[in-house]
Order: sequence, then structure tokens, then C-alpha cells
Amino acid sequence: MCDQTFMAATFGPCESCGKPSPLMNIYIKNEAINYCSFCVELMACQGLQSGESVASLKRECESLKKKLEEERGKLNDVELHQVADKIEVLGALAIKTRRVLKGHGNKVLCMDWCKDKRRLVSSSQDGKVIVWDGFTLSKENGISVPCTWVMACAYAPTGCAVACGGLDNKCSKAVAMHTNYVSGCTFTNSDNQILTSSGDGSCALWDVESGQLLQSFHGHTADVLSLDLAPSETGNTFVSGGCDKKANVWDMRSGQNIQSFESHVSDINCVKYYPSGDAFASASDDATCRFYDLRADREVAVYQKDSVIFGASTVDFSLSGRLLFAGYNDYTINVWDVLKGTRSSILFGHENRVSRVRVSPDGTALCSASWDHTLRIWA
Amino acid sequence: MSSKAHNNLLHTKRIVQQLRIEASIERIKVSKASADLMNYCSEHARNDPLLMGIAASDNPFKEKKPCTIL
Repeated sequence: MCDQTFMAATFGPCESCGKPSPLMNIYIKNEAINYCSFCVELMACQGLQSGESVASLKRECESLKKKLEEERGKLNDVELHQVADKIEVLGALAIKTRRVLKGHGNKVLCMDWCKDKRRLVSSSQDGKVIVWDGFTLSKENGISVPCTWVMACAYAPTGCAVACGGLDNKCSKAVAMHTNYVSGCTFTNSDNQILTSSGDGSCALWDVESGQLLQSFHGHTADVLSLDLAPSETGNTFVSGGCDKKANVWDMRSGQNIQSFESHVSDINCVKYYPSGDAFASASDDATCRFYDLRADREVAVYQKDSVIFGASTVDFSLSGRLLFAGYNDYTINVWDVLKGTRSSILFGHENRVSRVRVSPDGTALCSASWDHTLRIWA
Repeated sequence: MSSKAHNNLLHTKRIVQQLRIEASIERIKVSKASADLMNYCSEHARNDPLLMGIAASDNPFKEKKPCTIL
């Protein structure tokens, strides 16, 4: 479709200037408007400051993008791994499977730790959400959710509630309603608010009690697959990543997109903040994980190897931020040295894709969820 | 101008406004950012059980008896 010349279908008084003339019947935001052609031009120009036009805005767009690249480039005086050359290489890590949690009947898609460092919740394609005691392997609770593909689950800060969502487009008994699947959810600092990401391209903040939408975040141009809240000391921001290959940082109060990073060449499956809140990592279908520093406003490391060709679906940092655990579609978990950019070790054990890895709140263990119907705890 | 052109205009305007915001943020040098990241890691390294490894007796997940694998 290109700009069309409308055939005037009606004749009458213009709804704007009142003069009788051939009217153009157009729809703005689903409302029918019947203006004469002069008033239509006037209305379209109201969106412009004096001297602007679509062409001039597009030119400004291009020059701003160039300026952004230049500014970011000027500050790239050294690479992270070069600065990290002076620290010692990591010793061999003694991490092994310590527990295998069996009980789901289908692919385990998501898991989350409770703040008490021993309980965890997991959700699966079979529609079940199970709460486990990580020490004893007992199942404390099991709920059936009326949809398959429960893609996201989260533990509330007090440990008293669990939220989950998936293909039914809702998060937990319709607290959050999106127009497409819910890919991720997390409680904010209280049990009362949930942040969700969705296949409909948006993220949203909801009040749990009333189900009311408190803030929505628009800017992604495709499905949003993951989100993570900034660690509490650093304030009200969160990062989201999606199928448009972009990772966006948002201000929760204003709904504003503060920073945006686009260096992956395929869908971003997972994003996670560095423990200090000044950086975050992302995992992507392009088989790399990347590390972005928020204050330098650029990517500072890429974790990749020629032998790693399968997409990465999930990442999490160890407590100090030195290790990055990444789960891949080749059934392994690679452990990367965040600062040096090298791979420290590989964790084998799962018999299908690893869908989620999470380090426990006190950093003593790593839990991984997989399409092989099990969860493993590594320590 | 048709309504499609009008939407196009609003869309481009939004992108330009977003870019203006992004271009105006304060940035620091990568050398400074890297140094801060390294400092954070070394400060917290000794409290990181997965990095340092802790004695089997202290870690509730590491038990003397073997894992029950069914």
C-alpha cells in the first residue's frame, strides 16, 4: 500500500471547518472522520513542529543513531578481558549433581528459588506447578494449572505465594492479562506487585490484589521472552530481552525505555542482572552469551566458542558475579569466567535441553530445569 | 496525507524521541566500568560458595551419603 488518492465518496459540510466540499472519509484510531482535504492536511501537519516532515525526522533518526555509535565508541578504550588479565585464572570447580528432582510428567520449563534457600518452585508443560524442598526432595505442594506450557513461575519474596503463567496468556488466576503468552514473571520487592513479559511484545506491572495494570512498557518490536529486576539497592529498573534481538532497560515508574542494546544476531532467550546491578548478561539462540555494562552503555564481553553451536536458553550469575552459568540446547551447562571471557567448566547430566538455571539465594547451589522432565541441584 | 502516512509520522517521531533520550545519557569509559566490575568480584569472591567451594559439612546439599538416584 502506498499513499492513496482518495475518491471522494461523500459531499457535505467538513467536520472541522464547516465548508461544504468533497469529504475524505478516513479512520484515525478506529474513529471515522469526515474532513475536507485541506483540513486533513492541516491535521496531519499538527503532529509536526515547524519545519519538520517525515523526511527530516528520518534524517534526524539516522544522524542520532550515528551519534550514539560514535559516543559509545569513544569510551571503548580497553576490553574487559584485557583489564582482567592481571587477576588469577580460576581453579577447577568442584561442582557436581547433588540432587535429581523427579516428578514432572513433561518438559520442565521454569523454576525459581524461595528466599529460604531450600524450597523451589518449578513449572512444566504438563500444566503442573510443584513446590519442592531442595534438601529432602519432598514435594510440598502441587497445583494443576488449567493450561499446558506453563512457561514462567516465580516465588514471592515472603515465600507465601507463587505466580505462574504461560500459554493461557494469564499470570496466576488472571492477575495479569496479556494478549499473547506470558513468557516470564517476577514479583517486585513485595508480594503485591508482579512484573510480566509477554509474547505480545510488551511488559507490564500489575497489582496482585486488584489485578489492575499499574504500568505498561512498550518498545520491543517482537515477543519479549525474558525479564529481570535490578537488585534492590539500585532502584526501580528492569531489563527485558526478546525476539527482536534487543535488550531494553526500563524505568518502572515512568514506563520509559532508558537504554537499549542490540548486538545479538538472534532471539534473546534470557536476561539477568549482574549482582551489583551495574551490568547484565543475556543468552541467545545465536549460541553466545553477552555481557553489557549499563554505565558504559555497551557490550563488554561475548562468551562464545567455536565448539558451542547450540542456542543458549538461560543464564545466571554466581553470588560474586565471577561465574556465569549458561544452559544450552545441547543439554549442557557451560560455566564462564565473566571477567576473562573464557569457559571455566562444563556441567553434563541432563538428557535434554536445559530450560532454566538459577543460583540459590545464598549462592550455595545451582538448580537447573530441563526438557528431560527433571531438575538437578548442583553444588 | 492518508491516515497510514499519519501513523508513519507518529511512529518515526517516537523513534526520534527515544533516540534523543538514549543519546543524551551519561556514559563512563569501559576501563573504569571494567575496574569496578573486577572490584566487585574480588570483594565478594570469598563469600561465593560455588566459586570457592565449601566444606561438605557446611553445605546442606553435599551429604556424606550418596544421592538417591532412582
